[in-house]
Amino acid sequence: MKVSVFGCELSGLVTAGALAQTGNRVVAMPIGVVKVEDLYQGVLPRDEPGLSQLIRSQVEEGGLVFEADWRAGVKHGEVLILSMPSWRLDRAEEVIKVIGECATGDVLVVNQSSFPIGTADRFEAQIKLAFAQRGLVAKVSVAAMPEFISEGSAIGDFTRPDRIVLGSRDEQSINRIKDLMRPFNRVTDQVKVMSTRAAEYTKYAVNALLATRISLVNELANNAEHFDIDMEEVRQGMGSDARIGFSYLYPGCGFGGPSFAADVKNLVGTLQSKGYDADLLKTVLSNNESQKEVLFRKAWRFFDTDLRGKKIAIWGLSFKPNTSTVENAPSIKTVEALAAQGATINAYDPKGVADFKKHYQGCSCIEYFEDMYQALEGADALFILTEWKSFWSPDYELMKSRMTTPVIFDGRNIYEPEVMKGLGFRYFGVGRGETI
Amino acid sequence: MGVESSKAWEALQLHYEQGIGEVHLKSLFEDPDRADAFSIELDELFLDYSKNRVTKETLSLLVELAKQQALPDWIDRLLTGEQVNDTENRPAMHAALRAGGKDVKGVALSVQADIDAEFNKMAGIVNKIRSGHWRGYSGKPITDVVNIGVGGSDLGPLMITHALQTIKSPINLHFISSIDGTQTSNLLKTLNQETTLFILASKSFTTIDTLSNAETARDWLEEVVHDSNTLVSQHFLGVSTKPDMMSQWGIPEENQLVFWDWVGGRYSLWSVIGLPIALKVGMDGFKEMLAGAHLMDNHFGSAELEKNMPVLMGLIDVWNINFLDIQAKAILPYDARLRYLPSYFEQLVMESNGKSVDRAGEKVSYKTCPILWGEVGPNAQHAFYQLLHQGTQSVMCDFIAPIERDDFDRNSVSEKDGSLRNQHELAMANCFAQSRVLMLGDAAIPDSIKEQFNTPFKHYPGNQPSNTILLKTISPKTLGMLVALYEHKTFVESVIWEINPFDQWGVELGKLIAKEAHAAIKDVTRIDGFDSSTQNLIKRLVK
Repeated sequence: MKVSVFGCELSGLVTAGALAQTGNRVVAMPIGVVKVEDLYQGVLPRDEPGLSQLIRSQVEEGGLVFEADWRAGVKHGEVLILSMPSWRLDRAEEVIKVIGECATGDVLVVNQSSFPIGTADRFEAQIKLAFAQRGLVAKVSVAAMPEFISEGSAIGDFTRPDRIVLGSRDEQSINRIKDLMRPFNRVTDQVKVMSTRAAEYTKYAVNALLATRISLVNELANNAEHFDIDMEEVRQGMGSDARIGFSYLYPGCGFGGPSFAADVKNLVGTLQSKGYDADLLKTVLSNNESQKEVLFRKAWRFFDTDLRGKKIAIWGLSFKPNTSTVENAPSIKTVEALAAQGATINAYDPKGVADFKKHYQGCSCIEYFEDMYQALEGADALFILTEWKSFWSPDYELMKSRMTTPVIFDGRNIYEPEVMKGLGFRYFGVGRGETI
Repeated sequence: MGVESSKAWEALQLHYEQGIGEVHLKSLFEDPDRADAFSIELDELFLDYSKNRVTKETLSLLVELAKQQALPDWIDRLLTGEQVNDTENRPAMHAALRAGGKDVKGVALSVQADIDAEFNKMAGIVNKIRSGHWRGYSGKPITDVVNIGVGGSDLGPLMITHALQTIKSPINLHFISSIDGTQTSNLLKTLNQETTLFILASKSFTTIDTLSNAETARDWLEEVVHDSNTLVSQHFLGVSTKPDMMSQWGIPEENQLVFWDWVGGRYSLWSVIGLPIALKVGMDGFKEMLAGAHLMDNHFGSAELEKNMPVLMGLIDVWNINFLDIQAKAILPYDARLRYLPSYFEQLVMESNGKSVDRAGEKVSYKTCPILWGEVGPNAQHAFYQLLHQGTQSVMCDFIAPIERDDFDRNSVSEKDGSLRNQHELAMANCFAQSRVLMLGDAAIPDSIKEQFNTPFKHYPGNQPSNTILLKTISPKTLGMLVALYEHKTFVESVIWEINPFDQWGVELGKLIAKEAHAAIKDVTRIDGFDSSTQNLIKRLVK
């Protein structure tokens, strides 16, 4: 099939690469600052496991072409896929305009992006209007197929999805999209067909539920500390209840990232602007913002409200492991909070330093290290903000020898409190370890 | 010999007797150019004083009186920081606070560095709180700030922050003033210890009202905060002229903001007492307010008396009070954001000029400060306007209104904004209509419906004088200009009356006797020195 993908961020590139791999002829077009030359050079906007190999191989085999001119994409594609970050609705509007102006026959648009509810219907009406004004008689169908990929596992999420949510009422469009997605839908039929609005809403609803679950677990964990309860034991007890399950049950220092938190924020924004209730979700978001400072608060109390001149090592800046992205990450708020109190920071992250420097142009009180142990030199405490694999089993003796005082604030609960105590660390987790 | 037997005063008395006293405002308005001739504009503030029972001649005689009383010299003494507060041997340098180092001379210049240093410290605190980096004991950012203060340490910040309510602030502000504890008790139920910070604002740091509320606040914090150092260092700021007293209370030096005894309490919102204002609108917004006031200071110090806004307002009030025998003044803002403005001006004007002894200590034989009161105009229309229109009292009124509302887009087509625009126009229509009817009385009744008013009960005598002050909008700058205007016009009156507007001995004795009464309430055997009425009242309390 001839496919055009608008958007060359993570979701667009994964979509384009995976569809090319299954034999489609794909044209992918950037809609923002990403440049076609860079994409051909292998310079990708996201550092995602397996992505650069996928893109390189598909370009070499000729199934994937990058193109700057959207009109070429409109002419090429039997299916036109919109795959953009939620905040690029303005660019999507422009793409729709170009489709309305340049298309010469039937059009099938599939929107994967998290745009406001009703966007697919609106886009369809806009293209139809443009066609009518041009006197073009052709079929227009805009479907919604929200992406459910996560950074760090994006290719697998796309090629082996739990389900494919497909919003369309047009039989022909449904069949064509199902056919396009057939290679990723082989074991059992995973396609859930529904209205475009229901599909759009499903994406928001899933993220809203997950966000609520995380914030609730965090609140339970914070309070468990007051009663000297180890939240890990509680997590085991909760997760083994079949109605609850274990996923998204880990307490920690808050969720972040460019799409998950943003989706919930957008949903709240949409609901509020129309005067509908969003009380619970607003609380979820504000709880999460507060939770991003949970380690700061522990250190604040540990150091008797005086962090002036304290050196804090931070392991992990990215919002989760295996990504360089720091957008909305707890690291930003944590560093701001520490810096405002006059602490200095030694930061280490396997991938996130460059992105962090873009987001945080604060004071000169932060120093970046390429070695996780060097970052501990002279530190009064260590904050763990991201559960990178390399942090799980470190050289504890080396850590202690580098640190001024062996104090660990663990925002991801990656160590065992008893073990850390035995090793001579003061250890504070989220709902675990010592209580301050 | 007092001013009442001076040449200029007698000239005014003669002028009054020669007929102006009998002239109705409606006849003065037969001159079509009157509104232009009797109004003045300064930057974003416009004053229409045409609806006063004055002529050009009245004004020139009043200016003569001002000259005779050496007003230009007094203005100069005030603005350069001479000891204009002679009963307390100090200057009154509120204008120096807002000079920002510019256009000042004398002592007022010499204090600029101190002022600047304190404002820098204040800016650091304000920025830390507003950015969410001032932390409570548990490490959460402070979200609510409670100003505990009374009088000048309460009313100015309360009035201004209420007026600027449409400006979004990251901090929720609250004010506690009353000694009885009700405000405190109610407020604390709604707040969280983790995220609440208190400002103890007291010029002397001995004010019992403030200290008793502060103790209640401290007890409330102690329920959850067990380290007393953390409790004070993270949850209390002190604002006072007495650093030693603040230290004694436990407030660390870095949490103290200081001002000076040459700042009168009712003039202290320009000092670090304005901390809640800066928390509301940011330090830049606070500086805009100072700059607005400074604009008025410069005008007051440099404009000729005939074209000097505070001078004209003050002199016309003197005319109304001492020659037309009007002993009441109503402050009537036509925007609910200015709700506390009447209370603020009541304090400013009556605490300054509510005196009957001149600078030499002699009893004066003329009227001084009138009774001032007021209310948001549209509400007052349903209350005491009846008296203004048909009572037996002559009352002078100040109508105050913003031309524009800045809390919605003027070009917006939304229905809500359309309604709000319409409401604003309605409020302005009422403002303009009321001053017109107060002035003209029956003459304002359209001919077509005159018949309906042909009964003594629907008779409107009119001839009530008023000023109308229009602000471009309600902003830090225009509020600064407005408050400075009233401060200076109050000073002008004091110069004519030869009284010291900067002391307030009248409020001292009550404080002293309250201490004795409190002692008697605690120990009823100490009741003997009191009169029978007070004894009875105390007994009813302690029985």
